Amino acid sequence: MPESLTVNGQPREFDGDGDMPLLWYLREILDLTGTKFGCGMGLCGACTVHLDGQAIRSCLTPVSTAFGREITTIEGLSADGSHPLQLAWIRHRVPQCGYCQAGQIMSAASFLDSNPKPDRDAVDQAMQGNICRCGTYNRIKAAILDVAGGDTEETA
Amino acid sequence: MSVHIVTRRDFLKSSGLAAGGLTLGIGFGAGTALAGDASAASETELNAFVHIAPNGDTVLYCGRCEMGQGISTALPAAVADELEADWSRVTVLQGDGDEKYGPQGTGGSKSINVMFTPMREAGATAQAMLVTAAANRWGVATERCYADNHVVRNRDDERTLGYGELAADAAKLDIPETPKLKTPDQFRYIGQPIPRHDMADVVTGRRTYGADTRLPGMKYAAIRHVPVMGGSVKSFDAAEAKAMPGVVDVIHIPRFENAYGSLGGIAVVADTTWQAKNALEKVQVEFEPGPHGSYDSKAYKAELVSRVEQSCEKVHERGNLAAAFEAAETRHGATYTGGHLSHSPMEPMASTVWVREDDVEVWASTQDPAGIQRTLGAYLERDPKSVIVHVMMAGGAFGRKFKCDYVQEAAALSKAVGAPVHLTWSREEDTRTGYYHSLSAQRIEASLDADGNVTGWLHRAAFPAIRTTFDPSVERPSEGDLDAVSGHPYGIANMQVESGLSPAHTRIGWYRAVYAIFYGYAINVFTHELAEKANKDPLDFYRQIYANSTNPEQAEQVKRSLGVLNLAAEKAGWGREVPEGHGLGIAVHHSFESYLAMVVHAEVDGEDIKVHRVDCAVDCGLVLNPDQATAQMEGAVMMGMSLALYTEVTFRDGAVVNSNFHDYPVLRAQEAPPEINVYFTNTDARPTGLGEPGVPTFAPALSGAIFAATGVRHRDLPIKPMTV
Ligand code: FES
Ligand code: FES
Repeated sequence: MPESLTVNGQPREFDGDGDMPLLWYLREILDLTGTKFGCGMGLCGACTVHLDGQAIRSCLTPVSTAFGREITTIEGLSADGSHPLQLAWIRHRVPQCGYCQAGQIMSAASFLDSNPKPDRDAVDQAMQGNICRCGTYNRIKAAILDVAGGDTEETA
Repeated sequence: MSVHIVTRRDFLKSSGLAAGGLTLGIGFGAGTALAGDASAASETELNAFVHIAPNGDTVLYCGRCEMGQGISTALPAAVADELEADWSRVTVLQGDGDEKYGPQGTGGSKSINVMFTPMREAGATAQAMLVTAAANRWGVATERCYADNHVVRNRDDERTLGYGELAADAAKLDIPETPKLKTPDQFRYIGQPIPRHDMADVVTGRRTYGADTRLPGMKYAAIRHVPVMGGSVKSFDAAEAKAMPGVVDVIHIPRFENAYGSLGGIAVVADTTWQAKNALEKVQVEFEPGPHGSYDSKAYKAELVSRVEQSCEKVHERGNLAAAFEAAETRHGATYTGGHLSHSPMEPMASTVWVREDDVEVWASTQDPAGIQRTLGAYLERDPKSVIVHVMMAGGAFGRKFKCDYVQEAAALSKAVGAPVHLTWSREEDTRTGYYHSLSAQRIEASLDADGNVTGWLHRAAFPAIRTTFDPSVERPSEGDLDAVSGHPYGIANMQVESGLSPAHTRIGWYRAVYAIFYGYAINVFTHELAEKANKDPLDFYRQIYANSTNPEQAEQVKRSLGVLNLAAEKAGWGREVPEGHGLGIAVHHSFESYLAMVVHAEVDGEDIKVHRVDCAVDCGLVLNPDQATAQMEGAVMMGMSLALYTEVTFRDGAVVNSNFHDYPVLRAQEAPPEINVYFTNTDARPTGLGEPGVPTFAPALSGAIFAATGVRHRDLPIKPMTV
């Protein structure tokens, strides 16, 4: 019996081994490659997506967890790239290689939903699970604080 | 399909420019441009880098490989500047592997160095051809016409012609031999903080990397390597794995003895990566460790230390070191070590290969498409030219993706199963079977006179050189490997440089900044130690050394080193009061022709090391894009901090013990120095690269700051090694 779930607002049917990590379902069955593989162990955050609005590590989440629920990936965060964080990422010229950034943005989006006016320490804490090997951390933080409105320092 | 793949075979055809151009290094020699094949492409090719459509839309090709350093914006911006193009009409595309783009191997911070002028010439010649086409159309002299923001204007009346209207005619003209280049005051994009061309795609998840290639009928693979260099698969049993769902085949890839070849291993090809990975875990495999099966990196480091603490093979000598040491007022010696490093880009090694009867098609995150063509040509016994390489955006590379073992493996698998195969390594394989930064030991001894002048310098180094990867018989660093020491701008009059026996027991590769990491560390920290012996402030002591460096051949190096040192010190407020437990450290180093100085403000609280602020001064000549250059420095600080504090790959029984980010920790968000200030001397000098040169100064500046805060001197990297 196929199971249903919603991905970026679209109803989907899944017929297969529900133990498959959501990451591989998104990347290889749905070809939604914006969500990245970085470690497979919940250590880097590159695979972060939203499950009913909450940030989760899709590399550790079996697709069965998402049955009957709603998944949002970077491709579905906004229809046209106009989510305030996406715009702030561009304003602050955050990405270097960009590989980690989908995960960074998805983590930040769910964090700001729960804490819209964070201070710098709260941002530090919230983002410590997302590695950026290119070292864009300061621009990430500046972009988040910019959206939160508490701190509009420019990095560029 | 979520992926757009730029398969533009029409551009893969030799453009005719390449043949003539290669002799010049890159091709805009005189000759007739080939117009783009009108039936195949709507754009007209003015040269390999500049294509203009009838409506004026312009495609600029980047021949160098993008891995986050911003080169695919910086170089096209230089083309656009000379082309007088309207940047908003420009699309940047990554060129496939093709000699018409000139050298594409992207490493050594050389893209700007090597390609800046050729790129300007590509724009300038195309611009001149468009102007001539307009002049011909109007029947006036070319002098009466000029290019201005995507149109050619007639000086004598109001007439204009758009680039799109002119391109087809322009392409029929001869390529001018000596294009006139702009003077710096005429630049409109060069020197401006032009945003990266691909930002919108990155933040929406549309930017596709080597790991993101999707083709119809494509299979996914997972691999487990022979863990020891030179080892092999002794036996394996794949019966259980082969029966698992989705599995296509289980394949033994033998070691390919080539510098860029696979270590060998067992791979599973399946319908999804997850199925391949699950089945791989069920393959029973026994490895033969081979000649390096007892490699223990900790023990080896100790061995290298004992080697450099005795006399080694002399590779450079000047003045009279013995006499200087004899006459010394003070003598001091210290030993420095560093460990193996793994590049660990966030995107592990990833490629897709389709081996067909007549040709081979590759989509790979790579720094060296020609290396892929060569390696696959050798492995498949095919003409390298039959290997089509699509250069995909690399999700970080840092030197690792110059070597294409992961592409050769995908080729082996595609050949075996007769379908396109995508292979992304697991993080564990990425950590355990890389091409590592050398571990190293250095011994420095020096003499000071009564005024604190350095009169003699003995420098011994032992580390497995990168050349070992290409020639396993290499046993020690060469004279050339030690150039950065013997040719250091300190210019100490009495000097001896020695190389210690240090064969390799694993694959050694280029890691962002390469040998400059450990040379920069040892030389700077030792300088701090000498300053202490001489009872001087480190900054004053650096100045004194440089003041004594009077070899006219090094005058430029001395001037630029002092320039960044003084700039960093001034901006950081060197000497300012800091709270108890805080300290300032300073370091200066040049590598890849760029000059760097950093002041680090750190706080030490027990085990805890916090960096509050970093001030970087940079002399890379003309700064092409201040925002991207600043980003490179920020990234270098973060990577410098990772390697200063944490990262070290440890070998036991020939194999790497680390596996993933829990036991190979890299810097995380909350540890990032909150304030990083970057200052450029920004001269008109020839621009030089910045991908690597920012890395070496961080660790020694941090070491100096920790010493200032606590009186503890760190000579070994990393400072807080992880026990694995
Ligand atoms: S890939 Fe999921 S946390 Fe790293
Ligand atoms: S931008 Fe490259 S890993 Fe974050």
